[in-house]
Amino acid sequence: MKIRTVRKIITEGLQNTYRNKLMTAASIGTVAAALVIFGIFWLLIQNFNYNLDIIRQQPEMVIYCNPELEETKVRQIENSIKNNEKIEEYTRVSKKEAFDKVGEILGDKKNLLEGMDESFLPVSFVLKLRDPSESGPVAAEYEKVAGIEKVDYAKGLIDFITKLTNWIRIISTVLLIILLGVSVFIISNTIKLTVYARRKEIGIMQYIGATDWYIRWPFIIEGALIGLIGAIISFLLVSYGYTAVVTKFNTDLDQISTGFNNFLSLIEMRSISARILSGYIITGIIVGAAGSFLSIRKHLYV
Amino acid sequence: MLEMANVTKIYENGTVALKNINLSVAKGEFVFIVGQSGSGKSTLLKLILKEEDATKGEIFVNGYQLSLISRKTVPYLRRCMGFVFQDFRLLTGKTVYENVAFAMNVTEALPKEIRRQVPMALALVGLSKKADAYPWQLSGGEQQRVALARSLVNNPKLILADEPTGNLDPETSFEIIKILKDVNAMGTTVIVATHEKQIVNSMKMRVVAIDKGDIIRDQEKGSYT
Repeated sequence: MKIRTVRKIITEGLQNTYRNKLMTAASIGTVAAALVIFGIFWLLIQNFNYNLDIIRQQPEMVIYCNPELEETKVRQIENSIKNNEKIEEYTRVSKKEAFDKVGEILGDKKNLLEGMDESFLPVSFVLKLRDPSESGPVAAEYEKVAGIEKVDYAKGLIDFITKLTNWIRIISTVLLIILLGVSVFIISNTIKLTVYARRKEIGIMQYIGATDWYIRWPFIIEGALIGLIGAIISFLLVSYGYTAVVTKFNTDLDQISTGFNNFLSLIEMRSISARILSGYIITGIIVGAAGSFLSIRKHLYV
Repeated sequence: MLEMANVTKIYENGTVALKNINLSVAKGEFVFIVGQSGSGKSTLLKLILKEEDATKGEIFVNGYQLSLISRKTVPYLRRCMGFVFQDFRLLTGKTVYENVAFAMNVTEALPKEIRRQVPMALALVGLSKKADAYPWQLSGGEQQRVALARSLVNNPKLILADEPTGNLDPETSFEIIKILKDVNAMGTTVIVATHEKQIVNSMKMRVVAIDKGDIIRDQEKGSYT
């Protein structure tokens, strides 16, 4: 194919898009609507996963040493914790710190502790695991170590969150695939209408001696353009809408309580906008072009 | 130019449209194909276009053996022909000039050539002044002349016209036929399918009459009946 033909075909595609304003507008609307729904859904899932990840990091594991354990043995245990790859970070809670904490908890009844010192309390280590779902094996490993009295962790909670996260990932992937399929179907149907409205034109082109690709390309360019414009429109809608929601959410949450927003927060738009925009543009163009290609096939046999 | 040997066309629903047709048209001829609607003359044109394939027999058009060419070659076969239809079949979104130029874009002609050929074709059909008009702004006769200009612009070896005057009044019809006659005088083979007696009788050209899928008459300087 010659370069001037390529140029002609591109011009043709752009002209057709403009000259069939009404159908173009309808198709762009459909593409944009489908992508907006898709985007809202995607954002919901992303935020859910984001918060779940935060929650997953919360549970801690505590290792209590025997209160009578000598300092050298405690050091050994500390070293083994330090060298354990499954443990992301840890803090050592000394006997003194534990004693102060007990005092804090007792509050008014602090006088109960009078005449006592911290010697009856154990040294403990507060651990944060790299992967909380490893809690079970790690706890079992340390329970066997001599000098360790007890290992505490929120077994039920961690299991629950791990299972929940897995299920949400599976369900959301399936739902997003279904939604994408539905969008492609709707979009290709709209483009099918555009092609149907111009089947006579396709017929004429064939009588004149146009090759299949000469007929097809302008439609494909038109489809891709529709997809691109639809993608940009839906990106603007989603990003403005989402930013507004995040702003409102954050101010409302600040008013209600202060401690709560550590647990519940929304992803900031600017950290995901590039991903959304590129995803939209690629999806829009591919779906538009593929929709045109598929819809025109039926009309090419004259 | 055109050679049909023992051509039979039976449609999938069992209708026998053409029965064992033998027809030969030489280069530079002007031929009327006449017959009532349903006689098989439209099928004959569709076979030449390779819009339909013959059930039996062989067709040769400008050196192509139609039974042997692939779908991909069909556009190139059609480029050596020009078509004119009863319903004009112009691209409604394009101007007169663009409609004619489009036929040349399709064949990947040089822009220089397009700028030379299109005005010439429009002049030949007398529409130079309407180059920027859209089809819906034109009368039926003018639209048919645009279609004619489009069919001529690539200097085809053969022009096929299917009821080109079917939607036009007698006076306009004669204008169209006169243009076809002029084109024929320049060496292009012209085949016109029609059932308009008056036109056929006045032209005194070769007439091939078809009835119920048979050629019942083939006459030099003939008339309709």
